[in-house]
Amino acid sequence: MTERLLDVTVNTRYPYRYSCGTIASEFFAALRDEKKILGRKCPACGRVYIPPRPVCGPCWSPTTEWVEIGPQGVLECFTVVTFTFLDPMTGRTRPVPYGYGMIRLDGSQARFQHFLEESDPGKLRVGLRVEAVFAPERKGSLSDIQHFRIVE
Amino acid sequence: MDREKILVSEQVLQVPFCYSAGGVVSRFLLGLAEECTIYGIRCPACARVYVPPRATCGRCFVENTEWVPLSGAGVIETFTEVNYTETVHPLPAPFWIGVIRLDGADTGMVHLLRTGEGFEPGIGRRVRAVFARKRSGRILDISHFEPISSK
Repeated sequence: MTERLLDVTVNTRYPYRYSCGTIASEFFAALRDEKKILGRKCPACGRVYIPPRPVCGPCWSPTTEWVEIGPQGVLECFTVVTFTFLDPMTGRTRPVPYGYGMIRLDGSQARFQHFLEESDPGKLRVGLRVEAVFAPERKGSLSDIQHFRIVE
Repeated sequence: MDREKILVSEQVLQVPFCYSAGGVVSRFLLGLAEECTIYGIRCPACARVYVPPRATCGRCFVENTEWVPLSGAGVIETFTEVNYTETVHPLPAPFWIGVIRLDGADTGMVHLLRTGEGFEPGIGRRVRAVFARKRSGRILDISHFEPISSK
């Protein structure tokens, strides 16, 4: 065989883009321009969807109304990520450790997933009040919310 | 809603990975890098020559041991034209990919066929390997296969 062993190194990069559609575009524009979190309300059952969706899942009614929700809410579950991996939103790794949670924003029953400012699992617990912190530079994407921080 | 207010989400997936080529493929890649030679490996039981090489004969379950230097010329067994550009491709489209069975080999290897002027790949056409000037022990140390036209 051989004395020397080689490695095969592959660095594949897939850039991609897609239309956000009418509903998500309006949602992202409100984050970017007004630092507002908008949910979409079903006229039949009153559910408020976040992220917004054009049709209510249980009722099949088109959602018709925008309602402002948050920016505070309740942490319903969380994890602390300590193993680094590539973020598909950016193609870069996010420094570990970082918190990640599901937040029920005031004014909606839906759970919204986002990063948490706190990464110490000892300081996080289900039921904590948290609040959205907006990024100083906003581009009309979910990262316009930087993370959620604990409300003292 | 106005069409111009529709946002476009731009994202990127990156999949970096690295694996050991192992003893057999390392020897093959070093042949490309250092000798500009494509080596096959022969099964001692059935005498089939594998290119690219493999450690074990798929039919006989016998360890392949004998390295065979090949001329780098062979025939196109099948081919396709790639008409769209992707980041995973080694070249911008259009270009051809073919399966080439080298003289003295019993298997076909996949590689690029030259997209030069007047080149039309065809099944049975004779081609030869063109080596890259800069070689580092990877399959693209063979730059592509070009037609043998002197006939």
